[in-house]
Amino acid sequence: MSKVAYYKGCLASLSAKELDTSTQALAPKLGIELDELESVTCCGAGDIHEAEPDYYLHLNARILAYGEATGADTLMTICNVCTLNLRQANWQLKNDDALRARVNENLERVGVPPYSGGIEVKHFLWLIAEGEGFELLKQVAHKGLKGLKVAPFYGCQILRPSKILGFEDPDRPWSLERIITACGGEPVDYPAKIKCCGFPIIQAREETALGELIQPIEQAMEAGADAMVTPCPLCHLSLDAWQQKLEASTGRTFGLPIIHLSQLVGVAAGLTESELKFKRHVVPVDPVVEQLSV
Amino acid sequence: MDVALKIWRFDAETGERQLRDYQVEAPEWSCLLDVLDIVKDQVDGTLSFRKSCRMMICGSCGMRMDGRAVLACKERMLPIVEAGHVPVISAMGNLPIVKDLVVDMGPFWQKMRAMKPWLQPGYLEAPEDKEFHVSPAETEVIHKEALCINCGCCVSECNSMESDPEFLGPAALAKGMRFVGDSRDQATVDRLESYNSEHGIWDCTRCYFCTERCPKGVDPRDAIAKLGAESIKAGIDRDMGAKHANWFVTSAKTTGWLRETELVPKTQGVVSSIKEMKFAMSLARKGKVPLPFPPHVAENQKQARDLYNLVKEQGRDGAAGIVQGEKGIAYIEFADEHMEPGTGPASRIEPGEQPELPAEGGD
Repeated sequence: MSKVAYYKGCLASLSAKELDTSTQALAPKLGIELDELESVTCCGAGDIHEAEPDYYLHLNARILAYGEATGADTLMTICNVCTLNLRQANWQLKNDDALRARVNENLERVGVPPYSGGIEVKHFLWLIAEGEGFELLKQVAHKGLKGLKVAPFYGCQILRPSKILGFEDPDRPWSLERIITACGGEPVDYPAKIKCCGFPIIQAREETALGELIQPIEQAMEAGADAMVTPCPLCHLSLDAWQQKLEASTGRTFGLPIIHLSQLVGVAAGLTESELKFKRHVVPVDPVVEQLSV
Repeated sequence: MDVALKIWRFDAETGERQLRDYQVEAPEWSCLLDVLDIVKDQVDGTLSFRKSCRMMICGSCGMRMDGRAVLACKERMLPIVEAGHVPVISAMGNLPIVKDLVVDMGPFWQKMRAMKPWLQPGYLEAPEDKEFHVSPAETEVIHKEALCINCGCCVSECNSMESDPEFLGPAALAKGMRFVGDSRDQATVDRLESYNSEHGIWDCTRCYFCTERCPKGVDPRDAIAKLGAESIKAGIDRDMGAKHANWFVTSAKTTGWLRETELVPKTQGVVSSIKEMKFAMSLARKGKVPLPFPPHVAENQKQARDLYNLVKEQGRDGAAGIVQGEKGIAYIEFADEHMEPGTGPASRIEPGEQPELPAEGGD
């Protein structure tokens, strides 16, 4: 069992609670002990980086400092946006002693422990797509996905910019496909799996966002997907909750179930509905659950 | 070496589009542009593409290889040939194709002109008998933006522009930042007002394709974030995008976590959000609209508020807050030079083995 500092971010505490419960239930089965961070805040979601960038850096330094204080060498995220924001701040602080000294002075003045640059930020996906996590996943996913056709949707901020993320080739990622296959599902390939879901501008520029959102949904369905899996709760919210708006604006019916990564592996590992909470999804997941329970 | 490639040919007069196979003998040091020259010289003189300097300075030879926008003069062919891969070459995206690999850069230049890409010193006069002084620190603010060679690789894959062709886009906005951040320019507020238009700064969907594709390290997405930060610093925050961004700041300093349910009215205003009631109710039934009371407050939340006040006193508002982090990021960008081999964050990405991209230059 390896201990990680668990940073669940905003959405998994709020509208995407199902992501938190399924992650909490699944992680120990994959050899990951979660030490949940309590004293932390929002990473700023890229918005604070754009509105008050100096505050963004300090907020993220504070999260990293509390992560480091747990004694773990990894801070685990379950959201693309948290991953990019924290990794970006982490590289800025790790590689620039003067900047880190200034930020630490500020942290100490408000009572936060200083950050020495000793923690690595990794998404849950990266921990279970290779190494010990993947070996355990293969054993745990015994119930299997019974050949379910699953469209992997990566989203943006777990792939790009690759100089900050760098887990896999941003144009030819493999991690989700590998996990779908290991769980007994069949990955479906389509071009938009690495593109944007439109979420960051879905409130300010809904029409433009929907023009982006339709691509993965349409292409995945054309490729025969029964469901789509994503490692990001923001992509999930966009793909799941805004799908009805896409239906209203196009006059078409999609009904594509969108599943969190932890739920996909969780189903294969035999987690229960109280942990998976599929009932919280806007697009019903019933067809998938029925297919799997046969 | 024996190079095989497929090229999407296009004839604007007939509208005919065809994927053709080519195979040529090329020296091992060849880049993609060299190979295209050989094809044109020896196989098919009608193949059209733009080129000029051959050394990543002129920005003429932007095109797609396996669906990725690249400079043809920067892409070495040897690792691709060694991997046994046959790349698909096509014209850049988001711009109309004129012929084969040549796109119409008209819309690109039109957006560039809209940024007023020239210095506007206003009534500022240079010191007597001297030139304007620009300190190294002032240069740092726009160092990356000034590297742009107008090749269009960032625009090619811009996800917002695919959906909204009128979006000013990464190249033009990075150019805008190059002037907003110039200490000699006196038109900052006018510029920010104009870039805060309907298809401006706040239309960026943060897909980071521009930053990923730029062959010169401009990081257009960061440039757009700098413009956002400069706008908010200047009090230009009427756009819903700016209000959205500001709400995250308010949330962080009041509760620590995003106040998700209040985000819609704070972004769109109360009237628009009432129109969204039906949609909101459909989400509420699934527990997707968490009650704002009692608020979800982080432990030790006071620290986050104190931190905000402290940071504001120190005055690194606007683009300066982003520029200060560039040194640390540059360190990993040039990781080969000073880090142990294989320890840089992007060191896992092998350039050679390239399975076909599903996005390969089709349609």
